[in-house]
Amino acid sequence: MSAQSKKAQLLARQLFKLSLENGALAPERVTGALAYLEQHRPANPLLVLRAYQRLVAIELARSAAVVEHAGSIADTVLQSLAGSFSARYHRPITATAVANPALIAGLRVRVGDDLYEASIAGQLAALAAAV
Amino acid sequence: MTSSLLLLAQVTAAAAPEHASSGFTGQVQQIAGQFGIKGPLLLAQIVNFAIVAFLLWRFAFKPVMATITERQEKIAAGLKYAEEMKAKLNAAQQSSDAQIREAQVKGQQLIAEAQKSAKAFLEKQQQEAVEQSNALIGKARSAIELEKQKMLAEARTEIARLVVATTQRVLAKDLSDFERARYNESAAKELSNV
Repeated sequence: MSAQSKKAQLLARQLFKLSLENGALAPERVTGALAYLEQHRPANPLLVLRAYQRLVAIELARSAAVVEHAGSIADTVLQSLAGSFSARYHRPITATAVANPALIAGLRVRVGDDLYEASIAGQLAALAAAV
Repeated sequence: MTSSLLLLAQVTAAAAPEHASSGFTGQVQQIAGQFGIKGPLLLAQIVNFAIVAFLLWRFAFKPVMATITERQEKIAAGLKYAEEMKAKLNAAQQSSDAQIREAQVKGQQLIAEAQKSAKAFLEKQQQEAVEQSNALIGKARSAIELEKQKMLAEARTEIARLVVATTQRVLAKDLSDFERARYNESAAKELSNV
């Protein structure tokens, strides 16, 4: 890794830390960080922006629960999932529903790198793997 | 001839023992005359006889005797040689018999050792053959068992795949929206309690 890249990574981390408010990503702070970058352009702004975007995407993924479902799912169910995962991870997590008919029935929740499965397709796959 | 003269003298002595000295010569001459014996002729005959006897002894009897003696010696030497040869032959025969017996004993020992070695080799070969056959049988059994396990696993996997696929199709087709929604709610509760 070159010296420019290291500097860009360091600056992106600093901007990312400044973008957090109470441990959560704040849109206003993100806007402010981007404005700062626009006003004070670093030596390689593209590298800084890419690193900053990657950190923000990771944080968004960590704070978002993608709920794949087959069939309809009620908003109350999504809210209840968001509440339980927020309590589990000790940070605010929002639930986003994504339809996936391949599940047949049930849910598959992805929070960051963690995957939770409670679907018929998953159970059938586990059964096939076990047999 | 000498014996005849002696006989004549004895006869004469027996006829007139008392006229031993003087009359004896006369009587001898008288008898010799009666028999036709003359002194010089008798002496000549004696000389001739001696000469003939000497010649016979010197040139006939002596060489013959020498030849006989030589032949007897040769025969004795031959007999002695034959005896020696016979003894040597007996000794050689005994020696050869002993050697033959020894060779027979050694031969029997060699045969016994060879039979023993052959038996041991045969037993070893049989044992090795049995071990090899057992190893082959074991390998074959292992291979068969592995193949069986592999086939069973493949069959199990295929059956599971078919069951899962069939179940997926059936469930995907037959589940209603209401059932899916209920299942989703129960899944959400399950995930919330993880």
